[in-house]
Amino acid sequence: MGPAVDNLRRTLEEGLGNGDTRIVMNLSEVPMVDSSGIGLLVRFLALIKQQGGNLKLAQPSQFAVRTLRLVGVLNLFEIFDSDDAAVESFV
Amino acid sequence: MPADSNGEPEARQLSELLDVRLPADAEAIAKVVDTISENLMRLEVPEQKRFEVALAVQEALANAVVHGCSNDPSKQIRCRLKCDQRGRIVIIVTDPGPGFNPELLSDPRRRENLYADNGRGVYLIRQLMDEVHIERPGNEIRMWKY
Repeated sequence: MGPAVDNLRRTLEEGLGNGDTRIVMNLSEVPMVDSSGIGLLVRFLALIKQQGGNLKLAQPSQFAVRTLRLVGVLNLFEIFDSDDAAVESFV
Repeated sequence: MPADSNGEPEARQLSELLDVRLPADAEAIAKVVDTISENLMRLEVPEQKRFEVALAVQEALANAVVHGCSNDPSKQIRCRLKCDQRGRIVIIVTDPGPGFNPELLSDPRRRENLYADNGRGVYLIRQLMDEVHIERPGNEIRMWKY
């Protein structure tokens, strides 16, 4: 919760408002993801998929991956080792 | 491990490391989480365990802000950090709210809950910590890490 989640929400809303439905989110500088962040990610994943797009994750930390797995949502996301690999997967 | 009626494993002599009252807002949460992490570093708790505790505390305080204080920063939350002689730690978060019944929480991993934007906090705390007690009426959580 807090500014980090609020900023991410605004960014995703702006992206969707601009018609961006193919999104790669680099999590390399995010040591941990809390439940409010997870809620935001899955909500936007659902919205974006409804519009034929996808929200993919790049370079998440081991702890972030473990957290997503613990709450059962890891398999909802495609995860990549680099931004390039994630972007290329859209082609 | 058996627990006594206060939700604390039996016969533990606890040393208090932190006892703070914080306003119910996100900025205050971040400071307390940082302070607890610093205490754990001084106790030479491994990084992985520090991350687990930090996230559990973050979740407990966020629940206290949202559900216990209705996002009202004029209300206060109490957060305590203690350890026993074997280095096991307990964090106790108390809010002024009416509490809740943890048995009514649904499993966030159920298919119908996967895309929900909330409802994962307590489940996550239970996964990250070794022992969790929610004291009646549900406005205090005690979380142990061994």
